[in-house]
Amino acid sequence: MAEVHVIGQIMGATGFSESSLFCKWGIHTGAAWKLLSGVREGQTQVDTPQVGDMAYWSHPIDLHFATKGLQGWPRLHLQVWSQDSFGRCQLAGYGFCHVPSSPGTHQLDCPTWRPLGSWREQLARAFVGGGPQLLHGDAIYSGADRYRLHTAAGGTVHLELGLLLRHFDRYGVEC
Amino acid sequence: MNPKEEKVKIITEEFDENDEDAGVGGQKKTSKMARQKRKKPVCGAGDPEMVSENPHLGNQPEPLQEDSDTRPLSMTTRRGPRSLPPIPSASRTGFAEFSMRERMREKLQAARSKAESTLLQEIPTPRPRRLQSPGEKELETEFGAEPGEEAQKTQQEDDSQSRSRVKFRDSVRKIKTKPPVPPGFPSAEEAYNFFTFNFDPEPEESEEKPKAKNRDGTTQEEEEGEEEEPPVQGIHKTDEQLLISATEAEAFLWGLDHAAADFVAVRPADYESAHVRLQMEKELLFVPSRLAVPTYKKLPENVQPRYLEDEGLYIGTRPDVPRTCQNIMENRLLTQEPGRRWFGDDGRIVALPNPIKPFPSRPPVLTQEQDFRAELETLYKKAVKYVHRSQHMIGSGDSPGNFQLDIDISGLIFTHHPCFSREHVLAAKLAQLYDQYLARHQRNKAKFLTDKLQALRNAVQTGLNPEKTHKSLDTTQKTINEYKSEIRQTRKLRDAEQEKDRMLLKTIIKVWKEMKSLREFQRFTNTPLKLVLRKEKVDQKADEEAYEAEIQAEISELLEEHMEEHEQKMEAYRAAYQQWKAWKKAQRAKKKKKKQAVEEHPEEEMGEPYPEEDPVKPVPPEPTDRALMEHQVRERAARSRRRPGEPLLVPELSLAGSVTPNEQCPRVEVLRREDVKRRSIYLKVIFNDKEVSRTDSRPLGADFRVHFGQIFNLQIFNWPESLTLQVYETVGHSGTTLLAQVFLPIPETTIVTGRAPIEEVEFSSNQHVTLDHEGVGSGMPFSFEADGSNQLILMTSGKVSNSVAWAIGENGIPLIPPLSQQNIGFRSALKRADAISSIGTSGLTDLKKLAKWAAESKLDPNDPNNAPLMQLISVATSGESYVPDFFRLEQLQQEFNFVSDEELNRSKRFRLLCLRSQEVPEFRNYKQIPAYDREIMEKVFQDYEKRLRDRNVIETKDHIDPHRAMVAKYLQQVRESVINRFLIAKHHFLLSDLIVEEEVPSISILGLSLFKLAEQKRPLRPRRKGRKKVAAQNLSDGDIKVLVNIIRAYDIPVRKPTASKFQQPSRSSRTFSEKHAASPTTHSPTHSADYPLSQVLVRPFVEVSFQRTICHTTTAEGPNPSWNEELELPFRAPNGDYSTSSLQSVKDDVFINIFDEVLYDVLEDDRERGSGIHTRIERHWLGCVKIPFSTIYFQAKIDGTFKIDIPPVLLGYSKERSMIIERGFDSVRSLSEGSYITLFITMEPQLVPGESVREKFDSQEDEKLLQATEKFQAECALKFPHRQCLTTVTDISGKTVFITRYLKPLNPPQELLEACPNNPQATAELVARYVSLIPFLPDTVSFAGICDLWSTSDIWFNIQRHDSPLRINFDVTKPKLWKPFFSRSLLYPGLSSVQPEELIYQRTDKAAAAELQDRIEKILKEKIMDWRPRHLTRWNRYCTSALRHFLPLLERSRGEDVEDDHRGELLKQLGDYRFSGFPLHMPYSELKPLIEAVYSTGVHNIDVPNVEFALAVYIHPYPKNVLSVWIYVASLIRNR
Repeated sequence: MAEVHVIGQIMGATGFSESSLFCKWGIHTGAAWKLLSGVREGQTQVDTPQVGDMAYWSHPIDLHFATKGLQGWPRLHLQVWSQDSFGRCQLAGYGFCHVPSSPGTHQLDCPTWRPLGSWREQLARAFVGGGPQLLHGDAIYSGADRYRLHTAAGGTVHLELGLLLRHFDRYGVEC
Repeated sequence: MNPKEEKVKIITEEFDENDEDAGVGGQKKTSKMARQKRKKPVCGAGDPEMVSENPHLGNQPEPLQEDSDTRPLSMTTRRGPRSLPPIPSASRTGFAEFSMRERMREKLQAARSKAESTLLQEIPTPRPRRLQSPGEKELETEFGAEPGEEAQKTQQEDDSQSRSRVKFRDSVRKIKTKPPVPPGFPSAEEAYNFFTFNFDPEPEESEEKPKAKNRDGTTQEEEEGEEEEPPVQGIHKTDEQLLISATEAEAFLWGLDHAAADFVAVRPADYESAHVRLQMEKELLFVPSRLAVPTYKKLPENVQPRYLEDEGLYIGTRPDVPRTCQNIMENRLLTQEPGRRWFGDDGRIVALPNPIKPFPSRPPVLTQEQDFRAELETLYKKAVKYVHRSQHMIGSGDSPGNFQLDIDISGLIFTHHPCFSREHVLAAKLAQLYDQYLARHQRNKAKFLTDKLQALRNAVQTGLNPEKTHKSLDTTQKTINEYKSEIRQTRKLRDAEQEKDRMLLKTIIKVWKEMKSLREFQRFTNTPLKLVLRKEKVDQKADEEAYEAEIQAEISELLEEHMEEHEQKMEAYRAAYQQWKAWKKAQRAKKKKKKQAVEEHPEEEMGEPYPEEDPVKPVPPEPTDRALMEHQVRERAARSRRRPGEPLLVPELSLAGSVTPNEQCPRVEVLRREDVKRRSIYLKVIFNDKEVSRTDSRPLGADFRVHFGQIFNLQIFNWPESLTLQVYETVGHSGTTLLAQVFLPIPETTIVTGRAPIEEVEFSSNQHVTLDHEGVGSGMPFSFEADGSNQLILMTSGKVSNSVAWAIGENGIPLIPPLSQQNIGFRSALKRADAISSIGTSGLTDLKKLAKWAAESKLDPNDPNNAPLMQLISVATSGESYVPDFFRLEQLQQEFNFVSDEELNRSKRFRLLCLRSQEVPEFRNYKQIPAYDREIMEKVFQDYEKRLRDRNVIETKDHIDPHRAMVAKYLQQVRESVINRFLIAKHHFLLSDLIVEEEVPSISILGLSLFKLAEQKRPLRPRRKGRKKVAAQNLSDGDIKVLVNIIRAYDIPVRKPTASKFQQPSRSSRTFSEKHAASPTTHSPTHSADYPLSQVLVRPFVEVSFQRTICHTTTAEGPNPSWNEELELPFRAPNGDYSTSSLQSVKDDVFINIFDEVLYDVLEDDRERGSGIHTRIERHWLGCVKIPFSTIYFQAKIDGTFKIDIPPVLLGYSKERSMIIERGFDSVRSLSEGSYITLFITMEPQLVPGESVREKFDSQEDEKLLQATEKFQAECALKFPHRQCLTTVTDISGKTVFITRYLKPLNPPQELLEACPNNPQATAELVARYVSLIPFLPDTVSFAGICDLWSTSDIWFNIQRHDSPLRINFDVTKPKLWKPFFSRSLLYPGLSSVQPEELIYQRTDKAAAAELQDRIEKILKEKIMDWRPRHLTRWNRYCTSALRHFLPLLERSRGEDVEDDHRGELLKQLGDYRFSGFPLHMPYSELKPLIEAVYSTGVHNIDVPNVEFALAVYIHPYPKNVLSVWIYVASLIRNR
């Protein structure tokens, strides 16, 4: 019966080698969670920074959850994509972070990674674009044996999330 | 330790002068101190010495057998610093050696104590002290230090010392004289000597030891390294040593002075032959045997090994140890420690389950890419531009389309077919039974249960054995009880199983016998089926014994059970008896009391009623009768079990029999066979209710099997919803019949081609077939008996063996459409469990698969981790005993939940929030939701719940006519689905939705605006200013107003003079000649003038009603009034929702009603006229204009002249246009063509009209055609951007359809065509009228888009200058005026129409129409009465019947040319009434518009006290339920 409001925005991203970036995001929760309103997933616009390094999206996130347990606390998974001069999109990084569990405003930095692929794929990526992508997107947040995956670091996605919690104290959860 | 140290100190002090020795002493001391401080392995330090001692005793055989007190543990700790492995053969100083040492030490101790007891008196003080010193360490240091010191001491010390030696020697001798101990055993004396003596004189020793000391002082390790030496030394010294020590002792005895050199002897290097050494080692070392130890040795005597695993207990896998190692260990343990606590019940070494994980927890050094887990697989994707049409979804692949489903249909077998002969029926039954038997046999449940029973019994036996169990008594008791209850259950199950087995066997035999007799009877054979019963001999005696034992065991168990029960019953009985007794006693006492009481107070009532019921005296339970029980048990056994000695019967079914050839068969049978031959079968594959392919037609075989062996590859786009096979049968050359439908399950996404198993899907048909030959038919009763009893009815049935799987693409990717988002989430949550990832989630529900997987993956059924799964599988596959109705996945979730699901769902707040976010119409615009549940009223949901409830309930109350009600419901559903689709579409944004980009002004526009600046100001020429548009979402109630500007009207009907029957002008009908320019405020009693020349005039005003708000203009005069007034009506959106979608769906209309205001003078007396005015205002409805709000909303403004909808008959008014105004006195009257009103309607503020739904829906049209439509539209839009061009429309199921498919000539009802066969014109009119009466749904009303024509085959776009229909040239052959869609470049492909080929018209039921007519009339009357709550409503029956009489006439003439007749008729009948009235006409769809129309006329508003009303309804039925409704309303006022 406890409620969680997640209100905030995906501010932008820094540190990506690509310039025109956009971000697909989604929120994943456990079975105990129920989305009351808001959309679970979305996509930002493409931002090409003119000044400075940071791509700004300022994409709003507004979700209202009801939960009957703490398991499966909401987690955000992100995919940063870049658009090249031909308008083609390619993956720039996968990211994942938990929604904070304390009320208040939080500045989150979510580092990202992308699959490296074989040398041939790397070569192809460098010259013709594209790149390896996860076949199953849930590997971003599921705890499979990820050591098998060879990845390269991407940039960082900056988020600003405000958390409003309600009635957690009623069930003995202090926050 | 302290005494030792003291001693050493003393020694050092004593020999101070001796530098060397002192040094040694000092060193020693420090070293000792250091060692103590370090507390380093005390024992470890002790060891070396022990080792060094060993050699001296080496010649004695090891007393291994007697050893009883070895302590391997302490041993190993001692070994700690050495880090030697505990494997006996690992090194020379191995285990055996150590145990040897230990043993020696013990012997020594024993010897010591013995020696001490004997020598206690003689030994001088220091010695005993030394000997008794407790720790071995001291011994070590002493031994290490002594030799040198001792020697020197002896030199200089006093006699006491030497004397003591003498004594020693004596003692030695004494000992030596003692009876010899058995060879190989060190006697106590020897041992003693060894420790006390023999080192001193040894030159080697003395050399060696100081050295050792020095080293010892420095490092421990060196010392340890040294340890290995002594044994070597020791071995060769064995024999001489005693001798030497003896001589040396003698030397001491002689008191000779010894120089240091005397201790040194030069000797050759010691060498021993390998043989000798081996010999020695053999004696020293214990080498355990490698041979396996027989089990009985490892177990206590007379105990059978017990295998826990067989009893169903979980053991786990033992760590992998080579057999030989185990044997060695076992051998050693047996010899070393006869306690046997190392051995388990099964005679093996006790071991924990293997802790080694089968997979590494660290990554292997060289990872190959191919062993990626499936989830982590990556795919190289090219950088592609992607078109955003569908929603973006994280996680689901973007690859669209091209999915493939492979359907492999291998064959079909009929289990019953009409052509089955009797024998076939039996054969099918037999085959089925045999299959069942095989399945049961394979499972062998009975055997399993028997074994389980046995195991349980054993467990109980062992459990009862008290010395075996170490657990506390009550837990044992508990487990035993559990076992027992389980035994009971298992026994029951077993009995049931056995009985079933037996029954099955019996049935098989019975059927076979039947079949045989049938074959004999009919004298031919149809089926090659043959059953052979194989007998398996059994050992009668053993069998009998087993049988008897089983029965005895059962009886004893049952007895025990009954005893328990009896005990319990007895207990209960005793308690009950006690109670009863107590009650009896109390009763007696009470009675007594009562008696007294009654005696005392006789008048008193007979007191409290007796307790409700007298307890019955309990009856003691009967003890069980053993004999009876035995009888029962035996009976049951006889029923369900094979009798002892009876051979085991194994049925074997074969197809070895021969079928009688045709020639030998009777005619009917031949006929049957021929019939079979003529039949052939094929299957249709139906995918999502569409036939996609069909198999070849194959003849039906004599064995009723059809082999197809065809694989169909279905390329699919949509997610498969249904997959059906239809079985068709063709008989000869006649038609085919659909036998049955076989529904195939959609395969799991994990099932891909190659992995899919062939499955048999059963089907059956309900067809009834009787045949005139031997075939038994289907669905028809037949019998095997001669007298026709025992009838059977068999339906055609069979099995299709098929497999359905997803195809695999070239790159190995299965071509499976992506699941929807929710499913993915679900799946990933499950993936963690291993089983699920390998068989897919559906495996959880498909228990067969789960069981199969469990079997394949070799799950240990006894592993506690797998217990729930195993239980589930066993329960599900056996189908018996306890079946849990749940299977929890996240077991722990529930424990951690705050609240239950129900409570969460009960929360009103959450529900409200969810409904709001789902945009459910009732809650879509709920602005603020209360924070607490208690603040939310329950009734908020009432409407919504009611709607949900009523969704499928057809409410006939509102609609009167059930057919219409159904239609209305359907319309409602369509509307809902359209709205839902619209809602989805609304969330898709295009760039233009998000970005408003002002176009950069071009030079020309700039120039023009510059030019405008210089323009002359013309203040008298007003111009429209553009208003600002307002986005809808920020509005609230009252913000929006509808502005209606009523400008003028033309040709309004004028009053007619009342040509009354009695042409007497009443007082009130005095008229004045009207002036045209009379101001509306003049209240002159204008009246219907009977003035012959002056026109009867009218005082019209306009009333605008919208959403039940009513505004009206002032009254104007004359038939062509000019008002020029602006009316303002507030607008309320439904549910306060001002969003675009909501505004679009507003269905309200703006009613513009034109009334005539009639003033009646009600002054009673003419004389008062000078002093007062008494008039009554009456309003008579003349006509109306109806404009839907949605039109206003979409058009933003409505400006124009509209035809007023005037009823065909307006009593008291004439529609003749009077030309008098224009032409003076020539009162030429011509019939007016209608009245018109000029309006301007808009909204304030102006709203942005919503875009129509742009969503691209699925289409079944040709892709080329669709592209062409887009192109065509684009071209047209370029030329005439304001003209609407429609090429495709959305049909009711949401598919895009090319528009001309809707256009097709359809046949009109035959009935109408026959109505007037000679007059085509009339027929055409009739049909047109019929069409106009067909109710339709005003969707989005668009006015401006009437500029393209559709025909059945082409679309033309108007490229003329004008787009008003009146000004359009309709000659489409002129390419200049009309742009055709299909041209030479794109030829007309011949599209089929979506319309039906022919409409079938049913006649409408006249009776139903009449009934409806009555009901409508009744309802309308009630409504009118409702609307006049303050007045009495009288109904003039006479008038009503008159009106009712008119209506059919009106229908016949379609409302033309009847007015005068009416008037005449009415006047004749109701001459003394003044009345106004009119008929309304509309097509019937539902009741509400009718009521609304009547209301809008305002008939009910007359509040003259003596007013009477008349209302008549007529319904004219046209074919196909098209109804034309006439409502005649009139108000009458009696003239006085």
